[in-house]
Amino acid sequence: MAEISQEQVERAIKTTCATVLRNEHYFSDLDGLAGDGDFGTSLATGFRVIDKEWDQIDKTDIGAMLLKISMLVSKHVGGSSGPIWGTGFMKGAMLTRGKTAISLQDLADMLGSAIEGIQARGGAKLGDKTLLDALIPVHEVLKAHAAGDQDPGATLRDAADAADKAIDETRSLVAHRGRASQVGERSSGTPDPGIVAIATILQDWCKDRGIARTPNAAEVAKATA
Amino acid sequence: MKKFVNDPAQFVPEFMKGIALANPDLLDYTPEFQMIVRKSGVDNAKVSIVQGSGSGHEPAHVMAVGPGMLPGACQGAVFAAPPVDACYETIKKCASDAGVLVLVNNYQGDRMAWDMATEMATAEGINARQFWINDDVAVEDSLYTVGRRGVAGNFFVIKACGAAAEQGKNLDEVEAIAKKVNDNVRTMGVALTSCIPPAKGTPIFEIGDDEMEVGVGIHGEPGRRREKIHPADQITEELFEAVSKDIPFNSGDRIALMINGLGGTPITELYVIYAKAHELAEKAGFTVVRNYVGEYCTSLEMAGASLTILRLDAELEALLDAPAETAARIF
Repeated sequence: MAEISQEQVERAIKTTCATVLRNEHYFSDLDGLAGDGDFGTSLATGFRVIDKEWDQIDKTDIGAMLLKISMLVSKHVGGSSGPIWGTGFMKGAMLTRGKTAISLQDLADMLGSAIEGIQARGGAKLGDKTLLDALIPVHEVLKAHAAGDQDPGATLRDAADAADKAIDETRSLVAHRGRASQVGERSSGTPDPGIVAIATILQDWCKDRGIARTPNAAEVAKATA
Repeated sequence: MKKFVNDPAQFVPEFMKGIALANPDLLDYTPEFQMIVRKSGVDNAKVSIVQGSGSGHEPAHVMAVGPGMLPGACQGAVFAAPPVDACYETIKKCASDAGVLVLVNNYQGDRMAWDMATEMATAEGINARQFWINDDVAVEDSLYTVGRRGVAGNFFVIKACGAAAEQGKNLDEVEAIAKKVNDNVRTMGVALTSCIPPAKGTPIFEIGDDEMEVGVGIHGEPGRRREKIHPADQITEELFEAVSKDIPFNSGDRIALMINGLGGTPITELYVIYAKAHELAEKAGFTVVRNYVGEYCTSLEMAGASLTILRLDAELEALLDAPAETAARIF
């Protein structure tokens, strides 16, 4: 069974910090198309703290580390993104208490629990044009690979594909949650910045692990250029 | 802005430091989490009741810590929910074998923070639950809430639950007391002026010299309507009518009557309101068993007041009568 080490999880989080900080303005610009234009800054504010406090974060095991990250994200990421992303990390932390390595199935379970938590916290569902529209198909990919080839590289590539695809699939939808929902039809035709962020993070994870993949949506190409 | 403020970013830690220094025998202060707990520590045989919300409502929250009241509480920035880590640490610090009941005023930010903190604490093996307080009759939803807001009625929930916990009632029983109080307490407020959060530096809403906001929220959220200001008795009648008709309260009810100042109204004016409210209560056939006139839940320097009625029964009367000590004292 393919194991994912704590070191790999740490590396993925460090890569995520870099992705979010590099795209602070770009993600905000995307949010400004239909929302209130603070998504990139909100996210970056939280991940900048994680980056800065990285050495002090408890790394006894994956669960302890994710729990601390969950608190930092909830505390420092502004607006509703804080509790929503924080909940995701918290759910991951709950399932990895005491673990220093996880299987692909564990990862699928963590994401499944994160999705449930985010749905409960924010009340969104599939098709509401939120980050869940990226996370849910990624979860399907994880489950399929965990039950199948258990190849971490192929899993990551397919996960990035699924999130990337979600950008264009939801572009024409009207947002039903968050600030963008208040402009009604005007949100149609714009990408959801949460979905773009997930797709960009996964693309950067691919790049970090030397997995060749060409972005599909223009936004991911731009955010990873 | 004319205020006793140094660096606005230090406003909350500085006032908390003051509370701690003024109550050295009663309270312990942890600056990292803006948390204040009883110096006497946690009694594992008793349910712990904790709370935490935005600052600017003092004496609500941290100043309600003390024997017979809260074992601990944490503060957020002015009018902002405390961060999740502060809530989590407060639950952990106050964790008792008998369980923890988190009393949350019904605001979205507070609920999300305590939701997460309670879940994290539960995963640590702490027996913690939440109870949401929503006594404000003014509006069903506001800028910060889904459903009614929690305001001055919070005090009665803390007081009754604090006394019940002190008597050794178990977590289910203390939670049942919280529910009984919340089901029987109603509040509405009126603002004559706005207030200025120090970090903002400007009034949180505009209001004319001759206007009042009826049903105002404790963060300056809009209420039911903006009106020309009336004589005190007429305002009191309006508040009494809205509050007493809500449950509704009935002739023959034994009640606690609270006139709470919102921060910028002198106690003298609060007694002008109390006089009329007491008269109206008697006229409605209520017996005012206990009264509370003063500041219990404020909104910085906002001039204004709220009127709260709590329907009592023998159990609640005894719980309100039980001794308690907090940092909010004037003698």
